[in-house]
Amino acid sequence: MRSLRIASRLAWRNLRRRPGQAVLLLVTLTIATGTLSAGMWLSGSADGPWDRVWKATNGFHVSLAYYHDRGAPKLQLDRALRRASALGEEPGVVAAGGPWTLLDGHLDVGRESVDLTAEIRKPGRSPVDQPLVTAGRWLGAGGGIVLESGLASALHVGPGDTVTIQGRPFRVRGVAETVSVGRFPLSQPAQVWVTPQTGREMLRAGMTGEGFDLQLRLADPGNASAFAAAHRSIETSTRSSTMFLETWQQRRADSHSDLDILIEALLAAGGFIAVLTVATAAVIVTGRMAAETRRVGTLKAVGVTPRLIVLMLLIEYLGIAALATITGLGIGRLLAPRLAATSLTILGPPEPPLSWPRVGIVAAVAVAVVLLGTIRPAIRGIRHSTLRSLQSSARRPKRPARLARLAARIGLPVTGVLGIRSAWRRPGRLLTNAAGLALGIAMIVVALGLSRSLDLLALRFAEHPDALSGAAVDALYKQVRAIILGTAGLLLALGTINAFIVAAFAARDGARNHAVMRAMGATPRQTAATLIVSQLGACALAVGVGIPLGLGLWQLMAGGDLPRVEVSWTALLALMAAVPVAFAGIVSIPARWLARRPIAPQLVYE
Amino acid sequence: MNEVMVARGLVRRYPADGAPVHAVDGVDMAVEAGETVSVMGPSGCGKSTLLHLLGGLDHPDQGELYVAGRRVDKLSETQWAVLRRRSIGFVFQAFHLVDELTAVENVELPALLLGAPSRDARRKAMELLERLDVNERANHLPDQLSGGERQRVAVARALVNDPLVVLADEPTGNLDSRATGEILALFAGLREDRQTLLVVTHDARVAATADRLLSMRDGAIVAQTRLDARGNSLGALARLVDLGGDR
Repeated sequence: MRSLRIASRLAWRNLRRRPGQAVLLLVTLTIATGTLSAGMWLSGSADGPWDRVWKATNGFHVSLAYYHDRGAPKLQLDRALRRASALGEEPGVVAAGGPWTLLDGHLDVGRESVDLTAEIRKPGRSPVDQPLVTAGRWLGAGGGIVLESGLASALHVGPGDTVTIQGRPFRVRGVAETVSVGRFPLSQPAQVWVTPQTGREMLRAGMTGEGFDLQLRLADPGNASAFAAAHRSIETSTRSSTMFLETWQQRRADSHSDLDILIEALLAAGGFIAVLTVATAAVIVTGRMAAETRRVGTLKAVGVTPRLIVLMLLIEYLGIAALATITGLGIGRLLAPRLAATSLTILGPPEPPLSWPRVGIVAAVAVAVVLLGTIRPAIRGIRHSTLRSLQSSARRPKRPARLARLAARIGLPVTGVLGIRSAWRRPGRLLTNAAGLALGIAMIVVALGLSRSLDLLALRFAEHPDALSGAAVDALYKQVRAIILGTAGLLLALGTINAFIVAAFAARDGARNHAVMRAMGATPRQTAATLIVSQLGACALAVGVGIPLGLGLWQLMAGGDLPRVEVSWTALLALMAAVPVAFAGIVSIPARWLARRPIAPQLVYE
Repeated sequence: MNEVMVARGLVRRYPADGAPVHAVDGVDMAVEAGETVSVMGPSGCGKSTLLHLLGGLDHPDQGELYVAGRRVDKLSETQWAVLRRRSIGFVFQAFHLVDELTAVENVELPALLLGAPSRDARRKAMELLERLDVNERANHLPDQLSGGERQRVAVARALVNDPLVVLADEPTGNLDSRATGEILALFAGLREDRQTLLVVTHDARVAATADRLLSMRDGAIVAQTRLDARGNSLGALARLVDLGGDR
């Protein structure tokens, strides 16, 4: 307990001594934990509203659907109906809704039309899957149709309005929602509920029978999968008809395709950002390494035990990790409902679920990142002799690089040659910096491909006759594009922070050498150029790795729903030119700061 | 008289709690071509600050500074850099060799900065290293050299562009007695070669190699004497140190 108190006090003092670095580590960690949390909170946030509607409608546990081609023999339909009715009599079934006949036709929207299914229901309540009326009234005397709420929302119609089906007007009696069909427009065909009388009118107007559905409730909802598995023999699939079973769990999992895409995009983005944050943290921590090692040496010199030193470092970094986890979870919790609210499939206000395993994953990411920073200096400091730890200063330089010798031979200015030499002084930092930048560049390449692909997709939607669904899918892809571009932006921002930190540490490490060079007659501009050249190696490496990596990732993503396009060479060449220029601009800030510093204080005796 | 370096009323103040500290307080001095001048005084008297001002590593708050007759106290950082590479060589107590560069590369650096072809710069650097007897260590990095070897490399670097003046700041401060002896011999050789040299030191043996000795206290030059013969030098030094102590 006493050790803990001493370690806590030492950790707190160290945090207060270097608040900037602690804040920077906290901010970068929080970006990662926040993005991951947003994805995790979003996952399952639509399940709560779905469950609410499912319960309110006495939703099915097992659903049976039968579809047949137009003109299929009546005998076939009768046989299917008999088998469905028999299924409703099976042990374990406590209630059945249907079978309800389904009609197939078209809903006219302006000069376009949408595929439509009309489900024929008798007036009155069904014991299973009784749609929840959100406006107007359910089917009853006086006719009229009830629209699925997504359809009513897309058409901007409500009770009392009229819609045109098969060229004939039908009055909207009510709007309702259910879990037995997905929300229009992402789920198609559109759905309306009609009485048998209205159904007959629709048949006269040209709609045709397409099958039926039957909704069953079981004594034990958890038994749905076993029930379905036990009755797989009822499922058929021929050239003219198909009959299949579906459990409520399967339906719930498939109900939010747009959210699933968003979640996948967010988690992928969060993963990328987390990896880059590890790089950022590593850059910060390695920059602190020399000072940490010296501090450990000092503490050992005054009699602090290695165990206490480890405890102190753990408290310091785990404190930052804990704060980043809590803040990130809070940010994710705030963001997730706003993202979920943009969903076209969600059945009400999103309810992000509190899940301890998810909290644990976010915390584990933060802890893993900071442990990278704790273990190395602690082990270094403990392994080294106390004297060596105390003497720890700038790393011993490497032998002159071949590249630098080659550069000297081909007549590169001396400042350039010195820059190349300096780059190899900290190879770990160079590689970490390059890795961070490469991820940012890769995401830009993906964003370039995605952007062009989505432009093509938008053109296709413009030519598509079904503008309603096209617009919905377009809106979804716009969200995905926003996430990808946002991720690319965040990765670039982190890459920029990395580059700046590395350059600032390089400036700090190189301050004495640069002061010596200036004392020997190098101008401030020459020393600034040396620092910039020393950092450009990481940038060149990042461009060399990041562009192929991005092209590879884009090849994996393209295809499927997205038009496959090649990222243009013009864009890639522009990227290859722009990144080093921007990078040099970032690095020039600490370089110029270093060049402006007075020489004499940096040459004070060591 | 051919004055290489002239300072008039040189002042350098540093902010402090209360009144600012005058690290250099109205120094007037001149260094003639071919002359070796030592500046002595207790720690914190402003010797190193004076040297930094003379070499443009720091800037005076007041006063005038001339190098080879040209006023230089108002020069920009870039102009000072160009002046240093042409006219001023530095030797530091802590050697201050560039870590990444081998001994010979450190020596040729000022020549390359001056625009010398790399082959010429390398040849000149090797000649100097040979003259200072460290040519066998030419391809070693600084941390592979002993203190004496590092300081000899630093002296070679200071001389590579044939500067008007070499400014040396406690050149033996980090050396053992053997290495100090080597550097003393080296400086004696420079004096014989009439290389203009200004040495800041608190080592009487180093100061005794000079033609002239300046004594500093509290930022000001309080006494100076010409050390014409080696035999008189140490006696004069003792008197100067006593004089400084009495003030």
